[in-house]
Amino acid sequence: MRFRPPGEADFTSPAHGARVSARIGLWLGVAFGLCFATGLISHGIQHPPAWFTWPSRPVGLYRITQGVHVTSGVAAVPLLLAKLWSVYPKLFGRPLVRSVPHALERGSILVLIGASFFELLTGVFNVAQNYPWAFFFPTAHHAVAWIAAGALLVHVAVKLPVIRAALTRADHEEPATGVLSRRGFLLTTGAATGAAVLATVGGTVPWLRTASVLASRSATGVPVNRLASAAGVVAADSSWRLRVGDVEFSLDELRAMPQTTADLPIACVEGWSADATWTGVPVRDLLARAGLPAGSDLRVESLEGGGPYRSSTLPGTHSADPLTLLALRMNGEELTLDHGFPCRLIAPSRPGVLQTKWVSRLEVR
Amino acid sequence: MRWVLGAVGVVLLGRGVVELLPVVADSPLSLGGWLLGGPVLHDVLLAPLVGLGGTVLARVLPAPWRAPVGAGLVVSGVLVLLAVPYLWRAFSGPVTPGLHDRPYPAGLLVALTVVWTAVVVAGLARSRNTRPRRDG
Repeated sequence: MRFRPPGEADFTSPAHGARVSARIGLWLGVAFGLCFATGLISHGIQHPPAWFTWPSRPVGLYRITQGVHVTSGVAAVPLLLAKLWSVYPKLFGRPLVRSVPHALERGSILVLIGASFFELLTGVFNVAQNYPWAFFFPTAHHAVAWIAAGALLVHVAVKLPVIRAALTRADHEEPATGVLSRRGFLLTTGAATGAAVLATVGGTVPWLRTASVLASRSATGVPVNRLASAAGVVAADSSWRLRVGDVEFSLDELRAMPQTTADLPIACVEGWSADATWTGVPVRDLLARAGLPAGSDLRVESLEGGGPYRSSTLPGTHSADPLTLLALRMNGEELTLDHGFPCRLIAPSRPGVLQTKWVSRLEVR
Repeated sequence: MRWVLGAVGVVLLGRGVVELLPVVADSPLSLGGWLLGGPVLHDVLLAPLVGLGGTVLARVLPAPWRAPVGAGLVVSGVLVLLAVPYLWRAFSGPVTPGLHDRPYPAGLLVALTVVWTAVVVAGLARSRNTRPRRDG
């Protein structure tokens, strides 16, 4: 028997072909669309252009959008693999290139697949805070998202007649020639997608925490993303002062001010979230005490010596919200050093990475 | 309509390329590897394995067991893939309280046990349903 590379016609399984790939492509398009939109929202909150505003209510809004971002990305992993299996025979189509448009089309598909794998793989690794690469994740993940979105639109534009025909044609089942029938393949894709979501979504959905064996967070209280030791922060002593504009507050003075207690989620860019009850002084009260205008954009600085997250910008929408707190207590107990002692920012509907810990200073930007 | 869609796509794609240029200049090999690694590994390794596995399974397994075992392998493969970033942590930061501190190997084993229990149940049920027809 002589070996020869397979040709397009050697793939006889009904799992291949336009009827399967159009259907899975539709599901994958929904997942990519949700992932792209929620990713842009998260990017906008962290690097807001002048026209961008993000509401502070409902308090769990960012928890939902970022939960959708990570979950739709996880769901896209089995969907992408199934989509590629449904069109895999095309890889062996000959001649390799028929014409210039055909060459462009094949090229755009390589870009689409490369960018799609890149986004899903780097995203899944980032959720585990595992970085087996040399580039800065947020920049690369954001840039390649635009490439994937653009290549996807080009792909849909090229394939629109095929997609339309495949989705509208009456469906009749063909028997399985291999392991799975067409229906079986679609059901298996659905089952794998469901399993992937179930295994991870408990990082943000509380009642699935136990079931999600591959979630990023466990059930051990409110997670600590960055330890004080990693940030190079030591416990502040009695000489610590919070500086708001030109006014200074000692910890005892903050404790003596009227306190607000609020249930607010902390929602990480990496998709996990946790509920907690926070007690502290509303930021807008501190602004009033310091004689600063209500609803100012603020710069929140930390005791942390350096690094990209030692300070954050608190937009006016959030600084005016009565639930935006400089928290002194979490779940009824004084903040531990790892959770931001002596005080940390906690605002509704805001990425965890911007909920600055070990706050030392608030100033109007 | 198609031309508009395609033109918008080209504009978005171009925007992404421009934004990616500094990363290309900074770490070309790492970036290139991660951009091409997915399609290459899929096309020359994963997909051929799936095709070969499917062909072997279809010959070796009795008909009622083919679909359940095939589906079980697909679901298991996806779960193992999603577990890789937690099981291979050579490039990750320290585990902190409440984050990345689940017993991932045990959790994966439990999930796979559930999947393969379902496979066995489905296989037995399908075998029982097909047998009387074959006898009668």
